[in-house]
Amino acid sequence: MANANPPVLVAQGIGHLSRNFFREVGSVFWFIANTFEESLERIQQGRVPFRAASFFRHTQRAGVDSVPLVGLVSFFLGLTMALLTGYQLQRFGTERLIPGLVAIGFTRELGPLLTGIMLAARIGAAFTAELGTMQVSEEVESIEAMGIGPLRFLVAPRMLALFLLMPCLSTVSNIAAVFASSLICKAYFSIAFPYFLDLVKDSLLIRDIVTGILKSFLFGLLISAIACYRGLTVKGGAAGVGTSTTSSVVTAITTVIGFDTLYNVVYTTFYPT
Amino acid sequence: MTTSTHMVQLRDVGMQFEEKKVLDGLSIKVEPEERLVIMGQSGSGKSTILRLILGTLRPNSGSIFFKQFEMTRLPRRKLQQVRRHIGMVYQYSALLSSRNVRDNVALPLEELTDKSRSEIDKIVDEKLDLVGMKDSKELLPEELSGGMKKRVALARALVLEPELILLDEPSAGLDPVIASVIDELIISLSDNSKVTSITVTHEMESAFRIGTRMAMLYQGKIIEEAEREEFKQSKNPVVAQFLSGSTEGPILEGSLDAITKK
Repeated sequence: MANANPPVLVAQGIGHLSRNFFREVGSVFWFIANTFEESLERIQQGRVPFRAASFFRHTQRAGVDSVPLVGLVSFFLGLTMALLTGYQLQRFGTERLIPGLVAIGFTRELGPLLTGIMLAARIGAAFTAELGTMQVSEEVESIEAMGIGPLRFLVAPRMLALFLLMPCLSTVSNIAAVFASSLICKAYFSIAFPYFLDLVKDSLLIRDIVTGILKSFLFGLLISAIACYRGLTVKGGAAGVGTSTTSSVVTAITTVIGFDTLYNVVYTTFYPT
Repeated sequence: MTTSTHMVQLRDVGMQFEEKKVLDGLSIKVEPEERLVIMGQSGSGKSTILRLILGTLRPNSGSIFFKQFEMTRLPRRKLQQVRRHIGMVYQYSALLSSRNVRDNVALPLEELTDKSRSEIDKIVDEKLDLVGMKDSKELLPEELSGGMKKRVALARALVLEPELILLDEPSAGLDPVIASVIDELIISLSDNSKVTSITVTHEMESAFRIGTRMAMLYQGKIIEEAEREEFKQSKNPVVAQFLSGSTEGPILEGSLDAITKK
C-alpha cells in the first residue's frame, strides 16, 4: 500500500499538523473578531456589553490577586540576575552596568514575558476551566438560548480585564526586579541607591518602556483569547475540561514566547540598536 | 421568510452528528396555543429538535420556522432577538452555578430589557411564586434539589413572557407530586397566558397529562402524530409498543438489527 511508505506518512503527518495549526490560528482570530463584533453591536444598541461588576471581578482575580506572585517571582529573578551578571561584570570592572542591564532586560523583555507565562498558567487555566465547566453543563447554551450573546457576556469582560491588567502587572514585575537588583548592587557591589537610580535612568529609554507595554497588551489579549476559546470549545465532559485546560496553558505559553520572538525580530528590524 | 400561521414548522429536516444520522427528513407543524408532546426513545433526537428550533444547532438539510422567521437563515443579531420570544427548560436545568436563584431568574431581564431593579425584583418574585420557589431566592443552584432546579429553570424561561416554551424532559427524575405540579403549571400557562409549548419526554403519565397533541419520533422521522385520545388508540406497531412498554415489537427489533449490523 502506498500509504505505508514512511516518507509519505511523514509528509501526511506534517500536512495534518500544519492544517490543524492554521485552523486553530484562524479560529482564535475569528473568536477575537466575533467577540469585538458582538460587543460593538451591543454598544450600538446603546447598552453596555457587560456589567461593570463582572469586569471588576475579573480584574480583581486576574490583576490584584496576581500581584504577590508576579512581584515575588520577579523579585527573586531580579536578585539572581543581578548577582550572577554582577560577578561576571566585576571581573572586567564594569559592575556599574548591572542596573541598566536588569532595567532594560526586564522592561523590554523579561517583565512582559514572565508576567505572560505566569498569567497564562494562573489565569488562563482558570478561565478555561470555568468556561469549560459552563460549556459541558449546558450553561453557555442556556445563555445563548435566552438571546444573550455568550461572547460579549462571558468572554469580553475576561478579555478586557487581562488586556488592561497585563501592562500593570508587567510594571509590577519590572519594579520588583529592579528593586531586587538595587539590593544586590548595594550589598555586593557597593553601588548606593541614588547612584543605582542614576544608572538606571541613564540607560533606560522611553522606547524600552513603550515596547514592553505594547508587548504586554498583546500578551494579555492572546492569553485571554486562547483561554476563553479553549474553554468554550470543550468537548467530552470533565475529562474534556481537564484536557482543554492543559492545552490552554501549553498553547498560551508557547504563543506568548512565539509572539515575543516575532515581536523582537520585527522590532530589531526597524530599531536595530 | 414565509407568512406562516404556524407557531413552529419543521420541513424535511435532516441532522447528522458525524456518522450518526439523528433526524432524517423530519417534518412537523405546531399550531399556536397547542401543547405538543414529542415522544421517542432515549437518544432518538428529541432534544435535538428543541435545539434546532432555538437555532443553537443548525440542521444539515431542511428548514425550520418560528412564526414567520426561518431560524436556519437568520443572522446572529436577529436570531438573538427572536430567541427572546422562546423559553427553554433544559433537561438538567442549566442554571448558572455561580449565580443564586434570584440572579438566575433575573438574568434575561437584566441583560435584555431596560427595566429598573425594583421592576425586575417584582417580576422575579412573581415568577418564583408561580413555581413555588419564592423562599429560595438566595440559594445557589448547588443547594437545590433536582426538582427545585427545574422549577427555577421554568421560572427563568417564563420571565420574558415567551410565546413558545420548549421543555426537555420536564418531569424526568422528579417525584410524582412535583412532576404533577410542573405539568399543571405548563397546562395553566397555555390556558391562561396562551403560551404554546413543545415538550419532549418519554414519561408516559406526564406526556398524556400535558399534551393536547402527541407525536412519535422514530428513526429520525415523526411516524405518528395525533390528538391525545387518538394517539392512545394508535394502531402503529411502534407507537403501540412504546406506549405499552412491551419488549415484543419493532422497536427492539430495530435495535437488534442495528447491533447486529455493527
